[in-house]
Amino acid sequence: MSDELKFPGPSSSADPDSLNEPLAGRIREAYAPVAADSDLYWVGLEGRIMARIRTEGAGDGRWWTVLAPWAQAGLIAAAAIFAVTTVINQRLADSDSQYAYESVIQVSAPTSGLSAAIGSSSDRATGTDATLNYVLSH
Amino acid sequence: MRIPDEERALAEKARAGDHTAFAGLVRLHQRRAYFVARAIVTVHEDAEDAVQEGFVRAYQALDRFDTAQGFGAWLNRIVANAALDIARRRKVRTTDELSDALQSPFRDPAEDAELRGRLAEALAQLPERARSVIVLHDVEGFTHVEIGEMLGIPGGTARSDLHHARQKLRGLLKDLRG
Repeated sequence: MSDELKFPGPSSSADPDSLNEPLAGRIREAYAPVAADSDLYWVGLEGRIMARIRTEGAGDGRWWTVLAPWAQAGLIAAAAIFAVTTVINQRLADSDSQYAYESVIQVSAPTSGLSAAIGSSSDRATGTDATLNYVLSH
Repeated sequence: MRIPDEERALAEKARAGDHTAFAGLVRLHQRRAYFVARAIVTVHEDAEDAVQEGFVRAYQALDRFDTAQGFGAWLNRIVANAALDIARRRKVRTTDELSDALQSPFRDPAEDAELRGRLAEALAQLPERARSVIVLHDVEGFTHVEIGEMLGIPGGTARSDLHHARQKLRGLLKDLRG
C-alpha cells in the first residue's frame, strides 16, 4: 500500500484508505453508460421511465388507494353484518333450546300414568306391609 | 440536509398525481440513480432496468414518501433494492460479462486493453456486495451510512466491507501501478 494509491477525491479526501484517483476515475468511467455525456441518452431514459409510469404507475401499488375511501364504510357494514348475524344465531339457538325443552316435556307427559302406576304399586306394597305386620304381631 | 424547494414542490405535486412533476423528479435524479444501480448490477442494461423499476416503485409508493426528507436518498434506496433483486436473479457473473461491461468507447482499446481486462477480472473476483460498496463509496461518493441503508446492512458492515474490498482490489492490481 503506497502513497501512489491515495488521491484527493471529492468524497474521500479525509480517507487515507481510499483508492487512487486514476483507478477510481477509471472505474467511474467504465461504469458510466456508453452515451453518458449525451443529453439525448438521459432524455431517452426519462421517456422510457415515464412510459412505464403511465402503464404501470397506477398498478399493484395503488389499486388499494382507490378503495381506501370505502374502507371505513366497509368496516361499519361488516361490523353491522356481524352483529346482526350474532343476534340471529342467538335467537336460533334460543328457539332450538325452547323446542328441545318442549319436546322433552311432551315426551315425558305419558309417563304420568306410569308414575300413577308406580304410586299405586307403592300403595299396594304399603298395604302388604301392614298386613304382614298385623300377622306377625298376632 | 436541506431539501431544495424545487424538489419538495415537485414531490408534493407528484404525490397529488401530477405526471409532469414526477418527470421533473426523474430528470433531477435519474443519473445518480443509474450509477447506484450500476454499482450493484455492473451491466448497463441491468442498471437501466433497475432504474426504471426503481422509479415505478417509487411512484407507486409516493403516498408513503415523507416530503420532509430528500427524494434522492429515498429513491436511491428503492433503486438499490431493485438492482439487488436483479443481481439475485442473475447471480452468475462471468469475467467476460464484466469485461464487456467495462469497455469504454472513449479510449483506444489497444492502449489500455490490459488495464481494462485486469480491472474487470479484479472486480469480478470481489464479492458482489464488496464490489457495490467500493463503487458506491470510492466512485460515487456515498457515505457508509447511505450505502448501508441502500444495501440493507449496518453502516459499520459497509465500512468493513469497503476496507476489505480495497485491500483485495489493491492486491489484485498492484502490478499495474506505476
